[in-house]
Amino acid sequence: MSDREAIHQYLKSLNKYLARLDANDAQEVEREIESHIYDVIDQHESMGKAVQIEEVLAGFGSPRELAQAYVSHITIGSPPPEGFSAIRSIQEGASKGLYWITAFLGYLVGAVMLVLSIVKLWAPEQVGLWSTAGGNSFVVGMVEQSQQQGGELLGFWFTPIFLVAGAGLLWLTFSILKVFKQTRLR
Amino acid sequence: MTEKEAFDTKWDVQLRKGTLELVILAALKGRTMYGLELLNQLRQFETIQITEGTLYPLLDRLKRDELVLANWQQEGETRPRKYYSLTDIGLTKLQLMQDRWNKAVFDINHLLDHPGPAPIKP
Repeated sequence: MSDREAIHQYLKSLNKYLARLDANDAQEVEREIESHIYDVIDQHESMGKAVQIEEVLAGFGSPRELAQAYVSHITIGSPPPEGFSAIRSIQEGASKGLYWITAFLGYLVGAVMLVLSIVKLWAPEQVGLWSTAGGNSFVVGMVEQSQQQGGELLGFWFTPIFLVAGAGLLWLTFSILKVFKQTRLR
Repeated sequence: MTEKEAFDTKWDVQLRKGTLELVILAALKGRTMYGLELLNQLRQFETIQITEGTLYPLLDRLKRDELVLANWQQEGETRPRKYYSLTDIGLTKLQLMQDRWNKAVFDINHLLDHPGPAPIKP
């Protein structure tokens, strides 16, 4: 096999293993390595030395190992030791559960707060925040008849406060889920 | 390979692994270099013998972490090369690592310089 063929073969094989990278990123990796290899050849030739292409390629390791070094820190941080895949799948399962619980609770409570803040405009007597049991517990929501002790706490302010708080919660949930996704993808 | 040589090699590998990021950032401080140039520079040091297969993926990670900047450049007739330089974040991280490194060297030297039986620190 000629040097050129050997290089071509190596890069082709590398390309296959870099499939998990973005196409542009993979192309850039190959381009840089190709540039390095031909630079080494030039460097040897300018010194009048014969170049052993196998030796140059050996410095990069096998295409598979090299690709793994590029891909590992992008997909899951540093690669786990062998045999740890079971633990990782459990971890992934757990974080998936957490993801959906956060999504469900965050969006649900946020949406309910928004709806209540709007409904309050039409039914100011039925919607509100009440203090019961001498201030030891609070009731928020919609009631048929406002019979709670202590009276409604927020009055006119209920709508703006719940509107802002509800929107804030939706935004917070969205942000948390985004971070979740990013860390899981790494 | 004798037992002593085997031990030295293992220890060298570990030391290199732990300090590689610091080494690369330090080498790029105030310089712009392409991969082969950086590799050739580092290979002049007995304790910093790294391979292409280690250097390039690490440079890629440093770039993704925005510690270094990479730019393709072509000078005259030569083929385009990817040049690396430190970003401000990289410079800050280098400073932090350098401080920790100096502290570690100081601490270990203290241990080495103070063998028993007296207490390690008075």
